Amino acid sequence: MIASKNSSYLARIKPGWKFGALLVLSISLYLIDSWQLLLLSFILSIVLLLSAKVGFKQLRMPLMSLAMILSVVFVLLGLQTDWGNAIVSVLRLLTMCLFAYSVSLTTSFDAMLELFQQVASPLRFIGANPAQIALGLSMTIRFIPELKKVYLEVSEAQHARGLGNNPLAVSVPLVIRSLKIADETAEALDARGYDSAPYRR
Amino acid sequence: MELPPIRFENVTVSFEERDVLKDVSLTLNEQRIGIIGANGAGKSTLSRLINGLVLPTQGAVYVGDRDTQKHAKQIRRDVGFVFQNPANQIIMPLVSEDIAFGLKNLQLPKAERQKRVHETLAELNISHLADRESHTLSGGEQQMVALASVLAMQPRTIVFDEPTTMLDLRNRLAFQREIAKLEQRAIVVTHDLEILEDFDRVLVVTDGRIAFDGRPDEAIANYRQWSHA
Repeated sequence: MIASKNSSYLARIKPGWKFGALLVLSISLYLIDSWQLLLLSFILSIVLLLSAKVGFKQLRMPLMSLAMILSVVFVLLGLQTDWGNAIVSVLRLLTMCLFAYSVSLTTSFDAMLELFQQVASPLRFIGANPAQIALGLSMTIRFIPELKKVYLEVSEAQHARGLGNNPLAVSVPLVIRSLKIADETAEALDARGYDSAPYRR
Repeated sequence: MELPPIRFENVTVSFEERDVLKDVSLTLNEQRIGIIGANGAGKSTLSRLINGLVLPTQGAVYVGDRDTQKHAKQIRRDVGFVFQNPANQIIMPLVSEDIAFGLKNLQLPKAERQKRVHETLAELNISHLADRESHTLSGGEQQMVALASVLAMQPRTIVFDEPTTMLDLRNRLAFQREIAKLEQRAIVVTHDLEILEDFDRVLVVTDGRIAFDGRPDEAIANYRQWSHA
């Protein structure tokens, strides 16, 4: 999930502190076995999320997906172990996810990338460039919807030609168009001053 | 705003043993310059030479005193580029972050980056898009964001490669108005001949050569005549 503009007090806290607190909270939740304490944590996570002024529209889809996944986990755990254990596990996961939403939805993507670059800075010692990895991550997130759009266009075109069920007919143009997008994006990166040498024709 | 001259000196560009541009020499001093010609004539290559995205196989291109082969990085700070398909030009997931991307490459401090992002969005009347996810924008909005991301870097020249091809009439006219308002030099590669009516100079590119170089009305007439032949 990408955070929209958020003006709550949580958005003003440094991302490092928020993600650090989330890590500590997540570990602590795993050490708690009492459902009463977990219920209290769950209520706290709801209060935190509400205080973060995150719009319901932004939360609707992730909460629906989460509810579906947790329902499956609950039933499977209940059948395999006991229902008490299932309640504790689901409560724990739900609480962790709500805390995580409070953090991710109040932190801009840019701030997350900066934090990632700081955390990954020791990777320089093995020759990796954290800034390039961060750019790769952001571009992956940016281009997933674009590739989905291309897939739907190609798929629709092949359906119109009666080849909709042929995986090769969809995958070949999809790969070619993806490579073209990659080429154009690389050119745009160069044009916008990203540090790389120009190519010679 | 002082505009540096752009000089092409005997420029040939070959690609896979085919000459895309052949021995082109010209100097661009005007503020509004159009480039027209058939598909595959060499227009896009000509435009990409200006900010070092493509380097000459023979000859040299200078922006001011700088040779694009030696100073591509510095030249790109002064020559912005707006591509045909804005969707592939927008790098970051959020609009404001995308506009700040080029400024980060210039290593500007965060406060200055934020100031320029806000100013540029306001200048183009698209402040309401600042927090939108890039993939949710319409084609017209994406092209405006692409222009904003270039304007934020405050270049003195902006090259547009068929910027209105993917736009509907309303967005095309809006984009045309924005180009007309620019203080910067605008070099526009286009098939949209109406855009060029108020330009200072138009080049007609045919088979890798400058077939005509002159006033818009004359250049367009020349191009129409060539197309009918």
